[in-house]
Amino acid sequence: MIKKAKTRQEFFELSNFRRRFMVLILLALFATLFSRAFYLQSMQKDFLQSKGGDISNRNEKLHAFRGKILDRNNELLAASTPVETIWANPSDIILNITQKKKLAVLLKMRKDHLEDRLSKKNTNHVYLRRQISPELAGKIMAMKIPGIYSEKNYRRYYPGKEAMAHVVGFTNVDGDGIEGIELQSNEFLSGEHGFRKVLKNRKGNVVDDLQEIQIPVDGKDVILSLDKRLQYASYKALEKAVEKHAALSGSAVLINARTGEVLAMSNYPSFNPNTSRSAQRSKYIKNRVVTDIFEPGSTLKPLTVSAALKNNSVTPSTLIDTAKGFYRVGKRLTVRDTHANGIISVKEVVQKSSNIGTTHIVEGLEKKYLWSMLNSFGMGTKTGIQYPGEVTGKIHHYEDWGETERATISYGYGISSTLIQLAQAYTVFANDGVIKPISLFKEEGLVIGRRVIDKKTSHEMLQILESVVTEGTAPYAKVKGYRVAGKTGTTKKLDMNGGGYGKKYIGSFVGMAPASNPRFILAVMIDEPTVDGYYGGVVAAPVFSSIMTEALKIYSIPQDEIEFKHPKEQKMVYLNQHDE
Amino acid sequence: MRLNLILFFALIIFSLATVNSEHQYRKKYSKLDMENKKTLELRDEKTKLQLEESDKSGNERIEQIAKKKLRMHNPSEKEKVFLGK
Repeated sequence: MIKKAKTRQEFFELSNFRRRFMVLILLALFATLFSRAFYLQSMQKDFLQSKGGDISNRNEKLHAFRGKILDRNNELLAASTPVETIWANPSDIILNITQKKKLAVLLKMRKDHLEDRLSKKNTNHVYLRRQISPELAGKIMAMKIPGIYSEKNYRRYYPGKEAMAHVVGFTNVDGDGIEGIELQSNEFLSGEHGFRKVLKNRKGNVVDDLQEIQIPVDGKDVILSLDKRLQYASYKALEKAVEKHAALSGSAVLINARTGEVLAMSNYPSFNPNTSRSAQRSKYIKNRVVTDIFEPGSTLKPLTVSAALKNNSVTPSTLIDTAKGFYRVGKRLTVRDTHANGIISVKEVVQKSSNIGTTHIVEGLEKKYLWSMLNSFGMGTKTGIQYPGEVTGKIHHYEDWGETERATISYGYGISSTLIQLAQAYTVFANDGVIKPISLFKEEGLVIGRRVIDKKTSHEMLQILESVVTEGTAPYAKVKGYRVAGKTGTTKKLDMNGGGYGKKYIGSFVGMAPASNPRFILAVMIDEPTVDGYYGGVVAAPVFSSIMTEALKIYSIPQDEIEFKHPKEQKMVYLNQHDE
Repeated sequence: MRLNLILFFALIIFSLATVNSEHQYRKKYSKLDMENKKTLELRDEKTKLQLEESDKSGNERIEQIAKKKLRMHNPSEKEKVFLGK
């Protein structure tokens, strides 16, 4: 019951009480407010600040662009283009059946497969599809499905496709180089990602930086020494030869004779790095020019013979008796020529590719000298190309050589090398006796080499090599309008099961043009040709001619030969014989 | 009293100016950020176009068009004329 004031004094006494009561209530309310404020400001400060920050603050990765790979004429060989990665947080997903169907179609996934992915509730990040086009990602994001997100990435694209695949290599899905130049120059190409912490407004626009920005450092471009046009020409020439002779594979390397720069390096069969599946890639992944070793056979003869010429133990006109086509060395080895050549000059020994001839020539040389000369020619050492997986080939130490080893090495057996090593060895004959380091990157200045033989010996050998094309085993290496010098090789492959030499061959040719002043050196090898011949002069020399014609034409090299005798008009030496 | 009043109004004015300048800063920063993003997008576009150009001018494509569409062929030995040196 409410007491009513009867007098004025009584009224004030009552109101005093009420006033105090109200003040107390208000104070209590304020105390509650302050204590709540105190609780939030001090006890819960960190938690609330982080929650607030989550709404407006964002950590952003600043993407560093991966450098491009270009050829010597700045033609694009590899570049990164934007793609999107679609991922999901399964615990946030809300999908109806129609949406699920549409999403599966857009993602090109089976519906049950998609359901399986989205049912992984123990994780908050599941990739649905990586590296899709921004247009397709736009369609998926337009469905506005909660829990589905897209993220911008970059993917490498290789316009050189199959022809360039072995040299340029490729990256993995994270953009790191795993093969070829992409791997070799990965650090140089990659750059360094940046980072920033920003404040965003409610529209999602960045309005301020909250920390110092870590600026991204873009990767640098790599300019290769390759010429895209010549690379394509060599790939097509190999393709034609491998198909024609039903061979296992073919490889070719074209280098600038003066600088050692690689202008083309190709292998067939190849793969398309943009589309091929990993199985096909791994089947053809090897850049055989630098990773595969083989016994060079007759293509090594110019090296052993020039060692003898340098030593003055023979001259190009010294006569050698190759007898009736076989010659016994020690107890184990009978060296054979496929033809009885009788007494021939040193020049003819190379021209006719006589194994007995080279055996006789090296008999006058000390093993240590021959070994050190072959080493000087780059046998058993790396070429300087710095390509991932490059092998050095094998040459046994001279102390381990018997008479047999010295004899077989003279005609290129019992020693192994890569195709690029052979091409490098021939730079000696193109540069007056100086060997050049091999490079896959464009050289700007003068390339200093190392002297291997004297100028006179080099000229003599160049003339001998020219006669191999004009009078010897390689008429099909001719290029109209130019003088060509080179050497064929046909090597029996070692049978991996039986241990001895089987009936499988490698046909090769290493040569240079124009012979009057060599500008290009080209080494070609065709592995296991089975149809239409297997000799280096038949399977590899035409490939040489085809690629060299393109190189001389593209670089407008002045012609040095007016008279041209078509290969078919020329008397061929032992093309029907085994010129091992 | 008058001084306090002047200072009070000055405080109000400077506070508003600070808020305004912060607002202007954020507005301009946001614009700068958008322009930077546009630069990156244009850069991506440039690379895409370069790749497309490289693809379109690829040797293989040119060879196919020359052979199939334009019916061109490599000259035979008879068709070649050497002018000599």
